[in-house]
Amino acid sequence: MKSLDQDHMRIVSRVMDMQLQRQNVIMGNISNVNTPNYKPLELKFEDELQDALNLDAKGKMARTSGGHMPSIFDSGTFSADWTRRFMPRKAHGEDRVNIDKEMVKMAQNNLQYNTLSQITKSGYDGLKTIIAEAGKV
Amino acid sequence: MDFMTALDLSASGLSAERTQLNITAMNLANAKTTRIAGGSGPYQRKSVIKEVSSLDDPFGKHMRTELDREVKGVKVKGIATDSRPEKLVYEPGHPDADEKGYVHYPDINVVEEMAMMMTAQRNFDANATAIDTIKAMYSKALEIGK
Repeated sequence: MKSLDQDHMRIVSRVMDMQLQRQNVIMGNISNVNTPNYKPLELKFEDELQDALNLDAKGKMARTSGGHMPSIFDSGTFSADWTRRFMPRKAHGEDRVNIDKEMVKMAQNNLQYNTLSQITKSGYDGLKTIIAEAGKV
Repeated sequence: MDFMTALDLSASGLSAERTQLNITAMNLANAKTTRIAGGSGPYQRKSVIKEVSSLDDPFGKHMRTELDREVKGVKVKGIATDSRPEKLVYEPGHPDADEKGYVHYPDINVVEEMAMMMTAQRNFDANATAIDTIKAMYSKALEIGK
């Protein structure tokens, strides 16, 4: 049942998971905006994901021999990488999270999430159409 | 890690900022208070101490991934009394004046307090916006099944 269990759906749902995670990270940063000694967290996964899916511009590695190790990408185990700032950010002598940066990241994340949910919805809508139309013949 | 985690995080931020606003309002209201209830001396400026805090109970923490454990909210650790010196104003007729005729007023800078209030309000807004965003994401996720 290839059509019902689309490969990209699994990746999309995994990415949506990670975007939710990123939203949580950003909300943690925002709630600690003026907590002393707080070091903001950042969640990254896009570059690794592109790399894993062979979509980046770095050039695909072709398997020129059967003896090469295949790079198998598993959307189920792929996860996001996070970093913490080494030092708290100081602004005018106080520890401050960069609120503008966090809000922009949040807006971006929200738009990407909405896009992916739209893509998932369209995927299922397409299936629905096929099922409905097939019954009419 | 789910939608409710995000809401809990922002809720912790909202409540900390609300405490900050309350304390700032108290400082402003008592800017000219020369006597504290049941004691002597003028009102002393208060400030809020915030601390990073985990949302989980100690057991739940062990069931989470490393990242989930690192995402933390904020909580008010305590209210500190500012020890900056009092302001002396020469008012010999005042009932709280000392033997030299000076009244001890708390040294509260109204401009400083207003700045604190605006900061707290902006931070409150930021947290409220974050809640709106997570709500929008949640309803988008629900639309998938429609």
